[in-house]
Amino acid sequence: MATPDRFRLDGQVVLLTGAGRGLGRAMALSYADAGAKVVGASRTLSQLEETAELVAERGGEAISIATDVTDPAAVEGMVAETIDRFGRLDILMNNAGGGAEGDGSPLEQLTDEQWRWGIDMNLTSQMLCARTVLPHMTERGSGVIINVASGFGLRGGRDNWMYVSAKAGVVNFTRSLAVTYGPAGVRTNCIAPGIFPHTPQALERWRGGRYIPVGRAGVAWEMGPLAVFLSSDAAAGISGETIAQDGGGLAAIGPTGWAPRVRLTEPT
Amino acid sequence: MSDFVPTPNPERPDDPFLLRGRVALVVGAGDPLGRAAAVALAEAGADVAVATLRAGPQEVVRVNSVANEIWSLGRANTAITLDASDANSVDAAVARASSELGRLDILVNAADLPVAAPLDEVSPDDWHAILDANLLAPAMTARAAARVMKVNGYGRIINLVSVLAARGVANTSAYAAAHAGVLALTRALSQEWARSGITVNALQVGIYEGQHGFGDDPETVRQVARMLPAKELVKPEDVGPAVVALAADSGFITGETIAVDGAATARV
Repeated sequence: MATPDRFRLDGQVVLLTGAGRGLGRAMALSYADAGAKVVGASRTLSQLEETAELVAERGGEAISIATDVTDPAAVEGMVAETIDRFGRLDILMNNAGGGAEGDGSPLEQLTDEQWRWGIDMNLTSQMLCARTVLPHMTERGSGVIINVASGFGLRGGRDNWMYVSAKAGVVNFTRSLAVTYGPAGVRTNCIAPGIFPHTPQALERWRGGRYIPVGRAGVAWEMGPLAVFLSSDAAAGISGETIAQDGGGLAAIGPTGWAPRVRLTEPT
Repeated sequence: MSDFVPTPNPERPDDPFLLRGRVALVVGAGDPLGRAAAVALAEAGADVAVATLRAGPQEVVRVNSVANEIWSLGRANTAITLDASDANSVDAAVARASSELGRLDILVNAADLPVAAPLDEVSPDDWHAILDANLLAPAMTARAAARVMKVNGYGRIINLVSVLAARGVANTSAYAAAHAGVLALTRALSQEWARSGITVNALQVGIYEGQHGFGDDPETVRQVARMLPAKELVKPEDVGPAVVALAADSGFITGETIAVDGAATARV
């Protein structure tokens, strides 16, 4: 028994930013398993090459393009090289981003440079990549863009400034892309991951998942199938949408495991 | 909470969208979305019990024809009628699905009783009937199914609602309130069963092709479709794969509502 065809990405090309580690690397493997060719981009070439090697070990095809996705010229070069190598570009997975220096500080201490860098890395980078790939997609009348936001794009965090603001921007940027380029055949969606610790130390910082409703943190590979689903024809009816993958965190309020009991009473 | 034991991480499957060995119960399989869900689950390899809340002669024909489609896909199936307001009837339906097909992993609540009238014309009896069909039914089937799922420490519950749960349309007050209630039910149960291996999610479906009372009148269809980026309504067969994606999910998506609405709710 094989995967239903609508979930497959055979012959398609995905441009995946932040592919050198963590969730990006995990998604690269899932894309390759689904039959897509992977173009990995990030600043550190050695990490990308490791990802490409892991893809090759699974029988997939990946190339690496060292790119600073906050630099418009570099992004143009990245997209041109993708088209040059593979002749097409079907999917943009806007994954690059992360915590910035200055997040975690009182707002009064935040510098203008820290603010700009955090917004550039987490929001402007996604705009630059989308702006640059869209002509290729609209010309063909098909394409998929997926932006990675965060649970912090939907809720605030104490002393969290650029990250929450940029990721909230990503959620609404997604909607406008969907509304604007839908008629040209481009679907745009967003994934809001919850806690996916990359290291045992990070997992420890989140107390092993104790405060996550399902009782564990996310494992990087879990994001791969969601990314593949949203990239495939199986998600043809889904656009402009943000999907939280967070162990039930955003659905909850109050202390973890809170389960009050209140008896139904007669009026008194 | 000092005796916290993390939920074990799921194993990475070779094929993230296959449901081989899984058993699903689809309630409302005679409705277009229920049929699409049942067929998509069977195509992904699940055995499927199809159930209806309304055992009229035409409905029985519809449900049996869906059971035949599942059979023709080579999957085991059974057809069941149940009364959601009778706990014994619901328990018996779940017991029959799990005994005839060997287990129960997936519950899809797709039963839909569309009603639209000014509130002025909705009597308390009408209100109860609309709420029973659209809200009591998913609550009671989830209750019965979760008892079985808890024993196995594994379950995937997927509730289908209309986009009217999230946006207001005149004359849909009772129907919309019931569907919004299903979204609240989804979030609350996601927390209640978060440590039992059961995820509870919803698909919020836009006005879809052929939808009784909303998507079957050519003039309405034309006007609603004009508002969508794709200029056409969502199709029932676009909902099936989303059901499969949630049914096959590794367990970190819970309490979430995913819009399958062609970006209807993404725009102003």
